[in-house]
Amino acid sequence: MRRLFADRLALATGIIVVVVSIAFAFWRAAGA
Amino acid sequence: MRKAVWSAIYLLFILAPLLALLTGALPPSRDFWTEFSVALGYSGLAMMGLQFGLTARFRYVTDPWGEDVIYHFHRRISLIAVGLVVVHPLILIAAGSEKLAPPESLRDVPAGAVFAVISIGSLITLVIMALWRTRLKISYEFWHIAHIVLAVVAVGGGLLHMIGWGFYLADPWKRALWIGMTIFWIALLLYVRLVKPLFMLRRPYRVAEVRKERGDTTTLVMRPDGHAGWRFRPGQFGWLTLWGSPFKITGHPFSFSSSAEVDDGRVEMTIRNLGDFTSAIAKVPVGRRVYLDGPYGAFTIGNPADMHVLIAGGIGITPMVSMIRTLADRGDKRPLILLYGSKDWESVTFREELEALQKRIDLTVVHVLSQPPEGWTGERGYIGAEVFKRHLPPGYADHEYFICGPNVMMDAIEAALGEMKVPLSKYHSERYSFV
Repeated sequence: MRRLFADRLALATGIIVVVVSIAFAFWRAAGA
Repeated sequence: MRKAVWSAIYLLFILAPLLALLTGALPPSRDFWTEFSVALGYSGLAMMGLQFGLTARFRYVTDPWGEDVIYHFHRRISLIAVGLVVVHPLILIAAGSEKLAPPESLRDVPAGAVFAVISIGSLITLVIMALWRTRLKISYEFWHIAHIVLAVVAVGGGLLHMIGWGFYLADPWKRALWIGMTIFWIALLLYVRLVKPLFMLRRPYRVAEVRKERGDTTTLVMRPDGHAGWRFRPGQFGWLTLWGSPFKITGHPFSFSSSAEVDDGRVEMTIRNLGDFTSAIAKVPVGRRVYLDGPYGAFTIGNPADMHVLIAGGIGITPMVSMIRTLADRGDKRPLILLYGSKDWESVTFREELEALQKRIDLTVVHVLSQPPEGWTGERGYIGAEVFKRHLPPGYADHEYFICGPNVMMDAIEAALGEMKVPLSKYHSERYSFV
């Protein structure tokens, strides 16, 4: 069960990193 | 609460170095796909660096989760990090970036690209070895050393790749931040592998007795040699280095099986012969100098509960025996139920000891045998929800549960406890095959 929590935390971390990377790229590509 | 704080710190460590690139003077902007690819590369490297912190055996970090969950998380998050790192050049290829156009000759390949190939090559090797170590018949000791070397090469190569390309890291402050961060992670590794063993070298233990137990299992009794030793809590474990010096890179984690109430620093570990390194335990000579790193683990009694329910499969009995012995030494009056799964009656480790402990403490032992002898009237098969209902008094949510055993058993029991509406906070599980 705690492993399930660890699985979710790992997946959530991956998703957050991808979303932040997309925001980073939009921000930079827009000339910021 | 501590879990939430550590999760937030973890995310901060990954995202802050990336967002720091957006501060101060910025290089000219590029297209979306190039910037997206670069952001994934930076994040992937930050996540990889953090693994050195996760596996550095800091009690403050590992205690809220349990060491087995930390290693499980390490495997999951590392795969995601490697995925990001491998995807980032693929995005550039798909976007037709001129960065990846082949040079006129090999001499023209920029250093940044060479380090990228070294880093990704070592990462892929590392992942293959980690996922299929047993199938590739790689020994644990060799794998462990290779894993550390490849990890350092991958992270070091990744950093040199970034510095080689310049762009964001052309800014000296940003370059200093990323170099400093990488040095910090590698310093953590050196601390675990060089500094801590130095302390252990000054605090050796000696094997005082080697005791044969039922079930092809051996107990090592170890006494501190020239120092007072340390106290542990029942259910915790230590990393044992048996042969050679503490600098030998591979320690093996074993639960303590002795009572935590002994005051002469003596500790016992009970180890089953599983055919690998453990087959040598029975041959350890008395007087042998060994090194112990510990205690570790959050799998321990101490929370308020009306009674303790201990569920052990096979050699998962070792932390339970430590708990029972400790509670007996403390004169604890609360009822205690042990559900204990074994193969057959002759191989029940601690069988006689548990009978003796029943005279000292309110302990009920329910043996569950998968291969019971003729005429066996006790429980058969494996521990599951039906066994619980037959032997546990109602008020399931008020008891405190401890579970230790093979993965198959743990999954089945955790599912059964969920059905019985036992809250997560009331049960503790430890998987003994976490490395």
